[in-house]
Amino acid sequence: MFNEVTKPFRYKKRSLEEIDQANSKAKSKKKAQNFGGTLKKIWHYLAMNKVKLSLVIVMVVISSSMALLGPFLVGMGIDDFIVKQDTDGLIRLLWILAIIYVIHSLATWFQALWMIRIAQNTVFTMRTQLFNHLHKLPIPFFDKRQHGELMSRVTNDMENVSSTLNSSVIQIVSSILTLVGTVSVMLYLSPLLTLITMLVIPAMYIGLKWITKRTGRLFKEQQRNLGELNGYIQETLSGQRIIKTFSQEKKVIYQFEERNERLRLAGFWAQTFSGFIPKVMNFLNNLSFAAIALVGGVLALNGVVSIGVIVIFVEYSRQFTRPLNDLANQFNSLLSAVAGAERVFDIMSEEEERKDEQDAVDVDELHGRVDFSHVSFGYEKDEDTITDVSFSVEKGETVAFVGPTGAGKTTMINLLSRFYDANEGVISMDGRDIQTITRSSLRSHMAFVLQDSFLFEGTIRENIRYGRLNATDEEVEKAAQLANAASFIRKMPKQFDTYLQVDGQGISQGQRQLIAIARAMLADPKILVLDEATSSIDTITEINIQEALSRLMEGRTSFVIAHRLNTVQNADQILVLNNGELIERGTHQKLLQQNGFYADLHASQLKEKMISD
Amino acid sequence: MKRLFSFLTPYRVAIAIALTLMLMELTVELVQPLLIAYIIDEGILKQDLSVVLLWGGVLVGCSVVAFAAGVTNSFYSSHVSQSLGFDVRKRLYDKVQEFSFTNFSRFPTSSLITRLTNDVTMLQNTVFMGLRIMMRAPLLVIGSMIMAFLINPRLALVLVITVPLLILFLVGIMSKAGKLFKKVQQQVDHVNNVMQENLVGIRLIKVFLRAQHEMIRFKRSSDALMDKTVSALRLIEVTMPAILLLMNVSILVILWYGSVGVTSNQASVGDVVAVVNYAMRMTGALSIVTMIIMVLSRAKASGDRISEVLETDIDLIDKELSENRVIKNGNISFQNVSFAYPESHINVIKNLSFTIKSGERVSIIGATGSGKSTLFGLIPRLYDVDDGEIRIDDRDITAFKLEHLRQQIGCVPQEVMLFTGSVRENIAWGDEHATFEDIQEAAKRAQIHDTIMTLPKQYDTLIGQKGVNLSGGQKQRISIARALVRKPTILLLDDSTSALDMKTEAKLLEALSELSCTTVMITQKISTTMASDHILLLDDGILLAEGSHRELLETSDLYCKVVESQVGKETFTLVQRGY
Repeated sequence: MFNEVTKPFRYKKRSLEEIDQANSKAKSKKKAQNFGGTLKKIWHYLAMNKVKLSLVIVMVVISSSMALLGPFLVGMGIDDFIVKQDTDGLIRLLWILAIIYVIHSLATWFQALWMIRIAQNTVFTMRTQLFNHLHKLPIPFFDKRQHGELMSRVTNDMENVSSTLNSSVIQIVSSILTLVGTVSVMLYLSPLLTLITMLVIPAMYIGLKWITKRTGRLFKEQQRNLGELNGYIQETLSGQRIIKTFSQEKKVIYQFEERNERLRLAGFWAQTFSGFIPKVMNFLNNLSFAAIALVGGVLALNGVVSIGVIVIFVEYSRQFTRPLNDLANQFNSLLSAVAGAERVFDIMSEEEERKDEQDAVDVDELHGRVDFSHVSFGYEKDEDTITDVSFSVEKGETVAFVGPTGAGKTTMINLLSRFYDANEGVISMDGRDIQTITRSSLRSHMAFVLQDSFLFEGTIRENIRYGRLNATDEEVEKAAQLANAASFIRKMPKQFDTYLQVDGQGISQGQRQLIAIARAMLADPKILVLDEATSSIDTITEINIQEALSRLMEGRTSFVIAHRLNTVQNADQILVLNNGELIERGTHQKLLQQNGFYADLHASQLKEKMISD
Repeated sequence: MKRLFSFLTPYRVAIAIALTLMLMELTVELVQPLLIAYIIDEGILKQDLSVVLLWGGVLVGCSVVAFAAGVTNSFYSSHVSQSLGFDVRKRLYDKVQEFSFTNFSRFPTSSLITRLTNDVTMLQNTVFMGLRIMMRAPLLVIGSMIMAFLINPRLALVLVITVPLLILFLVGIMSKAGKLFKKVQQQVDHVNNVMQENLVGIRLIKVFLRAQHEMIRFKRSSDALMDKTVSALRLIEVTMPAILLLMNVSILVILWYGSVGVTSNQASVGDVVAVVNYAMRMTGALSIVTMIIMVLSRAKASGDRISEVLETDIDLIDKELSENRVIKNGNISFQNVSFAYPESHINVIKNLSFTIKSGERVSIIGATGSGKSTLFGLIPRLYDVDDGEIRIDDRDITAFKLEHLRQQIGCVPQEVMLFTGSVRENIAWGDEHATFEDIQEAAKRAQIHDTIMTLPKQYDTLIGQKGVNLSGGQKQRISIARALVRKPTILLLDDSTSALDMKTEAKLLEALSELSCTTVMITQKISTTMASDHILLLDDGILLAEGSHRELLETSDLYCKVVESQVGKETFTLVQRGY
């Protein structure tokens, strides 16, 4: 029990520097965006709905004035009609009041109706732009980020923005209106007392500044921690199979708890500090009451102001602080929105995939001749994965990359498709430097079957059609037939319309690859890239699709990566890579005769094994 | 929902303190007007400065008390709400870790993620608000009602009719809004899902130039989220003007009755003023109620979604007789095992029987989709068999405690999954008590040690979703090291050498033979089957043939075809002749 009483005061305290440090560490080296800048950006989105926004403001003005007019007329009714027992007058007034009330309700309704649409539109636009921007980012960006962390920005951070925008604009406008109205009346009544009432403002400013300086950062820390937690959850849920088989549930639960605890800590301080705001405002509010009463009392004693003025003034000073209080609360909620928005804008300011060079053109027709000339490349700055590689491929040829794991085979494909650009040297197609070809037209001539054959949630048909979106059902089925995928698909409960879940339960890795091959078949490209396309397919099936594959490869320039050498024996050229260098090249026969690295590989793969058996 | 309230029990003391503090604040707030009135009436009107000073001091004192109460309340409220969020997340995560794969098929990953973060945040915010302001508005409404009644029951009667009507209306709105918010959360799941797919499949999307297509898909999903949010919020926002109108109409009625009352001397003008004043106050408080309604109905939707996960029955659990048993021999036998994936009626494994002796190295080979990986999932009980029995050490595997069983099995799945962290962490993941020597030894056995030493920070290099680029083969070998580090009695390798070149594979297999564990390997490669003691040839969930490489060459046509497909005709003839 005692523990529960003291617990709230035992949370680990953290200095601003510590929080800043933690926040900036996660944010790479980019400089922190400021509050005002982010707010301006949000405003920019809101302002896209100018017409509706002005309508909302008009409605707020109407409803605010109706809200003030109502009580005033009620007071008048009591004084003028009830006291004087003027029934006719009262009935007239009641009618007027009824109309005012209806207008008030309607205005309130419309302002909410439009504001919700504006706010959600804003959030929608931001979210969609964020997503679209993601697609413009280069592959290295994705290689370095946790998926769940990025996902959190689209949902959790946007949620913060959304919930604030719904109410803030209306509240802020109506608070400001009330504030202006009240201050004018107060000034009219007594400038001196108004000045005294205003004395709280500097104190409010200092108090608010002290608090928001902390809450702003704390909110950000909270959102960051939430993002990290999200990342961890996503990763461990995707890796569920391995966690289960290794029976490591306890371990991931423990690691989850660490992150959960960090989130609690950040959340605790963010919420505690933000909870201070209304309290401080109330307190200062009460102090100003006391000050008015005291000073007013003295002034009244000296006959400087009338007692009536003081009485009214006390009432107004209450009215004065209420909107201020509301503004402070809105400011608080704004801070939390900004913390969320900032994380969204962070991504949007992330540098896009290098723009196509100025002179880059769309290439409508590609024959498929490919040249690598002295190409070097490294993922990390000081370390080359590919060193000075040169070779040429004629149109329609099949080229195989062979070499030990980590030799740089997949990197060659990354360069060819311009996921990454070479550090040195030139890659050209049909004699044209690929950097002068727009990425989209370059890729539109290529089709890929990648190592990880990824399937989307959806039907098998949709997944194959991904290769060419306007393909007819017949074309899809034909492609599946050619890829030898049709036979297993027809055994599925709903055949081509079988719905695949995200994690593709009940469909084997090999079957995924067959679908991926069908997808590439459908795309009908000039250049075909097969990166370990058949590694998970058994060799008998492979023989069957080999035929289909060679049909597919006919007339197209094909790049093949395979470990099983027999799948590359028929290639026109075999390029042997080792440690990023091109060490041998030639046909299967020629390379065997050379009796070098390839021959070694081949021997180790076949004869040695065979004979030792 | 009941279950969710039980999450609050550990914090009842803190909650009680928070609520008391809130009531204190509220009391001060209610007393304040009286104090001010007193200062005006007795001090200023009577020009008595001492009264102003004294009661002004009391006013300041009260304010300080309220301030202190408010600040302390913040501490308690955020402690309770954050701890509640912490607890709910923890319980959810614990529960999800208990899930069987059948359970998982009911909840997509993206949906579980939303439930664990977004939905919990909703609950958390609700509790925070609840402890700070939620009680205020209803208390104000009730207090004002009572006051109005004390002043003039006849006039207050109007309120007695309208307020219950309002409450009924609000309850109706709330239950409707709850359903709408549930749809909103479901759509958040969907947005999340599209996002996740895009992140995982980004390479494919780029090479197929489908960014546009995906953008449209996301836009559609995001658009639906907007529409659903708008319609839920709009429903809520109807309440505010409706409450305003209803309350204002009752003020009109009060005025009218008041006027009649004054004429017939049944009410004084002062009564009318006071009751109207209270009615106006209630209007103000009720507008806060609108916000509360929104928060509550969102919380209800989120709470339901959380309960749904917590209340899921785990369908794969230890049997009563299960015990912590050490696998001594590591022999495995399948006896008439059949299995179909949940929600599919097609048996992937059909009446399968075979035996693997302890310490043996066995290869499983078979066509794509023949049930090899499924068979592997059954051994560590990722799924339970529908029919038949799997035995390890001549005992049904359900006789082992699940956790204990899995602890003694080393498994390398087909799809390599590495976690964000260093190489060392990823290997040590297999056995948290492993020393650095153990880790290095495992890495050496898995033929990845040398590669690791060439990485920028060697064993401390970051890999996984945020780390350096590793080739498929390198990842595979780290994943193998992870399984080896636990020194398993049974080692399962699911096509784990597919991305390895022959030399590396040969070295790996050699290193593996130094271990004394039972090794089962799914493979496509003849080089692997040849290095095994025993081969199982699977086709369409049925055991087609078994035996050693030599035996199968003689007995199985399919096996011969596989071998031939890989080594070419000439070599094959050589092999058959016995070289």
